[in-house]
Amino acid sequence: MTVTSQRVVTTRSARANAHIGRHAQTIAIAVVLVVLLIFFAFSADRFATTGNLLNLLRQIAPTLVVATAMTFVISTSGIDLSVGSTVALSGSLLAIVLQHGWNPTLALVAILALGALIGFVNGWFSSYQNIPPFIVTLAMLSIMRGTALRATEGYSTPIDGDLWIVQIGQGRIAGVPVPAILAVVVALVGWLVLTRTPFGRYVIGLGSNGESLRRTGVNTRKVGLTVYVLTGLAAAVAGVLIATRLSSGSSNAGSGFELEVITAVVLGGTSLFGGRASMLGTILGALTLGVIANGLVLLHVSPFYVQIVQGGILLLAIFANSKVWAKFGAIRK
Amino acid sequence: MTDQEAGRVDRVVMRDIRKRYGMVDALRGVTLRVGPGEVVGLVGDNAAGKSTLMKVLAGAVVPDSGEIVFDGRPVAFASPRDARELGIEMVYQDLALCDDIDVAGNLFLGREPRKAGGMMLDVRKMHADARRHLDALNIRIPLTDIPVGGLSGGQRQAVAIARAVTFGPKLLILDEPTAALAVAEVETVLELIKTVSAQGVSVILITHRLQDLFRVCDRLCVMYEGTLRADLDAQNTSLERLVSEIVAHDEGEKEGRRR
Repeated sequence: MTVTSQRVVTTRSARANAHIGRHAQTIAIAVVLVVLLIFFAFSADRFATTGNLLNLLRQIAPTLVVATAMTFVISTSGIDLSVGSTVALSGSLLAIVLQHGWNPTLALVAILALGALIGFVNGWFSSYQNIPPFIVTLAMLSIMRGTALRATEGYSTPIDGDLWIVQIGQGRIAGVPVPAILAVVVALVGWLVLTRTPFGRYVIGLGSNGESLRRTGVNTRKVGLTVYVLTGLAAAVAGVLIATRLSSGSSNAGSGFELEVITAVVLGGTSLFGGRASMLGTILGALTLGVIANGLVLLHVSPFYVQIVQGGILLLAIFANSKVWAKFGAIRK
Repeated sequence: MTDQEAGRVDRVVMRDIRKRYGMVDALRGVTLRVGPGEVVGLVGDNAAGKSTLMKVLAGAVVPDSGEIVFDGRPVAFASPRDARELGIEMVYQDLALCDDIDVAGNLFLGREPRKAGGMMLDVRKMHADARRHLDALNIRIPLTDIPVGGLSGGQRQAVAIARAVTFGPKLLILDEPTAALAVAEVETVLELIKTVSAQGVSVILITHRLQDLFRVCDRLCVMYEGTLRADLDAQNTSLERLVSEIVAHDEGEKEGRRR
């Protein structure tokens, strides 16, 4: 059979456009990060020191761990607002059960299981019952925060500094803080899963065109549920990181944490409408937020401004995401 | 129970299919047969029952009565999965592709080649297989690693059909594959239908573009208000005749079996 010449041929430039379109925001955020690094290096004395940069990595570790999981959730066009409350609950309960003399390893496993369970509840309502995840996780935000407050009666619970578990938040390996190592490993595994496994492919497919994916025989509900289990688990890890770093479990930990995580993900170029994701972008987004927070403090700017700046960045990032970068490439939305 | 014709078994025979939705008689006893490698055009006005009939064949709708014989064996479908297992694939008008996933990814969505014990995608094999597959169907998409959202409408439709063909179907149902396509893109899709049927796959084509039917179809089946009004030979039928059958002008004594 011969081929008619009338067919529309996809050109190399179409590919270039499509790829630039997909990565435009990742490139942009990388540029912003470099500019910020240079700016703070020159304006804040102690910014560009090894000690401060390692400290910065430790500071953003909880954000990066949860942002990695959140990238999966947002890729399915979902959202998880309950992560901040889960951080508070898991940190508080960890401190409480340790005070009751639990074995630290057992306590850790129990807390992580609890996080996964919270995620399972989120996922079951969102994915199997088709209730908008925004509402489900908003309700869970309230429930978990309330549970944390009830469990602690509002007081912080100290964690004994002699327990090995404290090393998760405070330890160093070859001078590098353990939380930083953990966060980088989690992000790399997340990147691998998102881009190189069938599950990652289905996550993107679910956000892109769930009905199409369902018709190919993929259990889309299970995929939709699993991503919330990931954020629940990641939030529990973050709760453990924060509580062990501070040697104290507080029911007020992680307030506004969900906003920070979602900002990091959106800033990295992952679309809130699903289907488009960049794990590298998420890493850069989390770094950028960390650099801004850390740099502003070193410049003796009131820490209250950090929150204002963060909200402004989120709004700007969503605006850029849906209005500016969408014009690059040929991705129709 | 099998329909023998010139010594070969029909690919599918639907006999006296009926379906009621409350007060609406969607299908009032439809009989349709399709031979191996045959391209049958299914036409009719809106609400004539084309889509319902095809959903019955694809297993998405369970009929009230009637029988389906596939490759000489009576079959009953409880779900689309049953129909797919027998080799019946339906390409829907929309909802076919994930725009953000590349061409190769869409072709193999849900059954990607894997490595490392099923843990990882075998991306290289996927692109190689996709290339081979597209070439075999004469589909001109030079790059398999661009998201399908960046393709033209005709290319997207071609990818959707190619995906259905990768399942190795015996019968392919296409619901309005050329609606909303530019002229050159329609050519792409029509050529593809010819290629697929030449490989022995039976095709049922639902379309409102009557001129397309004469290009690719062997037979034209006209539905009218839940019945099969006419079964015409595409070579010996004029466009005027076809139109009058669709709008049910009772000129002369047609074999319109209205009840």
